[in-house]
Amino acid sequence: MSGVDRGVTGRQPQAVRSALAVLQEVARAGAGVTAKEVAEALGLPPATTYRLLNLLVGEEYLVRLPDLHGFALGTKVAGLAGVVAPARVPTAARQVLAQLRGRVRAGVHLALVAGPVVRVVDVDPDLPLESPALVETHLHASAVGHLVLAEVDDWRFVVHHPDRLAALTPATPTRAADVDACLARVRAVGWAGQSGQLHEGVGCLAVPVRGATGQLVAVVAVSSARGAAPVEHLDAARASAGDLAPLLD
Amino acid sequence: MRIDQLPVRSPVAGLRRRGLSMVEVLAQSVSALAPSAAVVAVPPFVMVQAGAATLPVLVVGTALVVLVGWCLTAFARRMAAVGGVYSYTAKGLGPGPALLAGWALVVGYAGIAVSALVGAVAYLVSFTGLDPPGWAVAVVTLAVGLLATLVTVRGIRLSARVALALEVVSVGVVVAVLVVLLAAHRGGTGTGAAVVDGPVTAGGVATGLVLAVAAFMGFESAATLGVEARRPLVAVPRAVFWTPVVAGVLFVAAGVAQVVLLRAAPVEVLTGDVPMAQLADADGLGVVSRLLDAGIALSFFACVTGSINALARVLFSMAREGVLPASLGRTHRRFATPAVALAWVLPVLVAVPAVALGTGARTREVLAGSLTVSALGYVLAYVLAAAAMPVFLHRIGELTRPTLVGGTLAGGLSAAVLVVAVAGASWTGSGVMVLVFVLAWLPGPVLWWVLRRRAPAVLARVGVYDQATAGSLLPGQGVRR
Repeated sequence: MSGVDRGVTGRQPQAVRSALAVLQEVARAGAGVTAKEVAEALGLPPATTYRLLNLLVGEEYLVRLPDLHGFALGTKVAGLAGVVAPARVPTAARQVLAQLRGRVRAGVHLALVAGPVVRVVDVDPDLPLESPALVETHLHASAVGHLVLAEVDDWRFVVHHPDRLAALTPATPTRAADVDACLARVRAVGWAGQSGQLHEGVGCLAVPVRGATGQLVAVVAVSSARGAAPVEHLDAARASAGDLAPLLD
Repeated sequence: MRIDQLPVRSPVAGLRRRGLSMVEVLAQSVSALAPSAAVVAVPPFVMVQAGAATLPVLVVGTALVVLVGWCLTAFARRMAAVGGVYSYTAKGLGPGPALLAGWALVVGYAGIAVSALVGAVAYLVSFTGLDPPGWAVAVVTLAVGLLATLVTVRGIRLSARVALALEVVSVGVVVAVLVVLLAAHRGGTGTGAAVVDGPVTAGGVATGLVLAVAAFMGFESAATLGVEARRPLVAVPRAVFWTPVVAGVLFVAAGVAQVVLLRAAPVEVLTGDVPMAQLADADGLGVVSRLLDAGIALSFFACVTGSINALARVLFSMAREGVLPASLGRTHRRFATPAVALAWVLPVLVAVPAVALGTGARTREVLAGSLTVSALGYVLAYVLAAAAMPVFLHRIGELTRPTLVGGTLAGGLSAAVLVVAVAGASWTGSGVMVLVFVLAWLPGPVLWWVLRRRAPAVLARVGVYDQATAGSLLPGQGVRR
């Protein structure tokens, strides 16, 4: 029953159009816009607008603010856009990464995070990631992805086809219970490490960069072709993540 | 509140977030309602009161509960609460009435848990066919109560699944038994017809209506799973609305069947403990009546777990607001359930029935007494929540004409039912139960009075729910003006 809402079917094009218009109006008017203002701006009947707003809040595209009458865009909207804008990295942040690269004998990379969306923005030029795109699209198989999934309420809503996770290598966790166990470990220790789940023989360590409010804004990843997660670099990576936090928040 | 001031942590953090599927949320409402026990036990009581008007009374009672359920969906679509109707009332009528409704709800859930526990034990005893002494019944009560509490501490998921499985089995048994009895029915009229087609009086109809509404108590309890449901703003309103609709269809259908069956039966059967079981015995279907006993015992057990789940979450909510001691708001480290609140609920839950039954009170008396107390609590909570709905929608600027009319109607009619219930309980000699209710409910108004003088800041926090946190908003979006 979950995941399917029969309230709006493909046979109600006007309802879908109106729902998208409501979403767009909240984005245009900005966080804090009220239901009445949305109805007035769109010329929709109030009852219809309230129903559509509740529907979009139920699906978590919109969020009702704590005063209960203002609306804002939810993190799920980031998944629609699929990009983190702006994807520019300040020079000061690149310098922090360069310092870390000088200290560790492993690949050092930076990925920006917005909600459930990951964008790899700085790859180690000497020891590059084999495939940044795989990291961005297979969150269940990478250390960076594990950190991102550990942040959300339910990873099943974030990954594509949670019941048919792709097995990139024999070590990739594909069963829901395995992913749950992995994320529980990540939440407990505050960092993620995997070996051979994305590419055979490649291990990776991921450390969160958190903003002032504790939100995950970026991930520092340290990759190693020696088969295991390079946990010996954990302290160095954590120190760099601390330096990056004020630069990326 | 500005969006850059949103908290990082939800005020009701600690429960296992976003885990329960739609079906498991539904299971909570269904188990607290205990449909099979309700559809077998309630219609004969209504017949005794309403006579020939029984079926219309059952339909009107169902309609009123569905209307109240519809009112609650207006809240459930907008906020994911742990305190259920208590938190809803707070958002409409403010903290004071919320405490009145909240404590009425606590009394309601506790009362229904006690009566379901007594019912489970009584039908278990009837199923075994033994006649144990009072102390043995008390020990069994203790054991069943302990088992129910362990199931609920272990996790809402487990208890929801157990409860739903038990309810499906017991509803299946009840439907099968009714079908078998109707098939074996030979028509004709017995002395029961004098009651079934009896005279219709205003007082009788009103009391019958109260009983019909009481059959649905607990249908709103999915509203306490706001944090734990996977998509709370979708799943909770559906459960709160569709549970009374579907249970109502079953209820009216079972009412029709029992009207047909009991019209042909002797009047002693109709006024007996379980008319359906006695009918089955009379038809030589002894095994059917045993099956019915087992089914109803299971349904009652599920109702015990459902009620204490909801009760513990209301207390948890109050503790998180500071209304009750903070320790009640602690959750189990491994199971993420409000374990401390559950542990406090247990002694009250088992002590009342164990002492009552152990000292030789009749099962039927304990059952009727606790049901009366809990019915008063529930209906008072429904009145306040239904009245709060239009006020709440007006406050957030989303009031429409249907919600205004529906909320006023539901509040007014429920208030009428409450008045009749109080008056009716006093007429029928259970006036002492009204007194018990008032005493049990007194902490609500007292808390309001004390907090208003001593800690107005705590009162202002009443109505916590799983609100938006900094992490749930799209970063970097524009802010209005």
